[in-house]
Amino acid sequence: MTHNKLIRILAIAPTARGFGYVVMEGSSRLITFSNKSILKNKNKRTLVWVEKYIRRYEPAVLVLPAVNAADTRRAKRIKQLHQRLVGLATEHKLKVKLVTVTKVRERLLGQIKGNKQSQAEVLAGLFPLELAPRLPPKRKVWKSEDPRMDIFDAAGLAVAFWPK
Amino acid sequence: MKSLPNYLQAQRKRLALSQEEVGFLIGLIGLNKGTRVCRDETFAREPSLLDALAYEVVYGRPVRELFAGLHQQAQQRVAERAKVLSFRKARNSDPRRKQTIIQLAESASVNPKHHDSQ
Repeated sequence: MTHNKLIRILAIAPTARGFGYVVMEGSSRLITFSNKSILKNKNKRTLVWVEKYIRRYEPAVLVLPAVNAADTRRAKRIKQLHQRLVGLATEHKLKVKLVTVTKVRERLLGQIKGNKQSQAEVLAGLFPLELAPRLPPKRKVWKSEDPRMDIFDAAGLAVAFWPK
Repeated sequence: MKSLPNYLQAQRKRLALSQEEVGFLIGLIGLNKGTRVCRDETFAREPSLLDALAYEVVYGRPVRELFAGLHQQAQQRVAERAKVLSFRKARNSDPRRKQTIIQLAESASVNPKHHDSQ
């Protein structure tokens, strides 16, 4: 896929709670980002929201995590949702780019080992005005993941989409 | 790439302001200040000229950059009309007039650099 600098992308990171999304124009311009918590009918409602964002932001590419890659283990629901998101992108004539976890780590940390917190910190450094205020505190072992981390998952996908 | 109608949300998030706060700053009255800013940001409403200028003051960016898509649209329409005008035979043969019309007619083909300065 050729990377035209002037394209708009929508990165979606489906999670157990809902999803995180990021819209970018070029490799350095963050248009919008947020996370959505969905409690019931998660896949159906996620699709409704994503379709709404596709209509609003008219992206050229939908960036998704590669859920079937060898380095990834995701729930059955997420895999089904992923399939339906690809279908939705095809319906709207969008290109789909799948990004692996390894690629995101390589892009952000420069190595294949690392955790989400360090990735989020790198992203906060890349977008200090936009993402730094949303950086959650380091997770304690007895706590579950902060919902704001969904934004950083999506931002990681979006940043890894662009070439270095 | 076609620009979005506006980039208000990106600018607001850059300044870490809430929709309610922006609504108050631009002078919206009533309890639904945040809702109206939300409608502006999601392209459901086109703000008035006064609101647009207030957005310029709040975000410190020119209106043409904040409303890049609308600016592009206006530019194209003016260029189309300038082309029509260039074919019209004018009584006034001032070279400045001709130059202005040619420049306006050509402006649509030039890609505007609306938000490179972020």
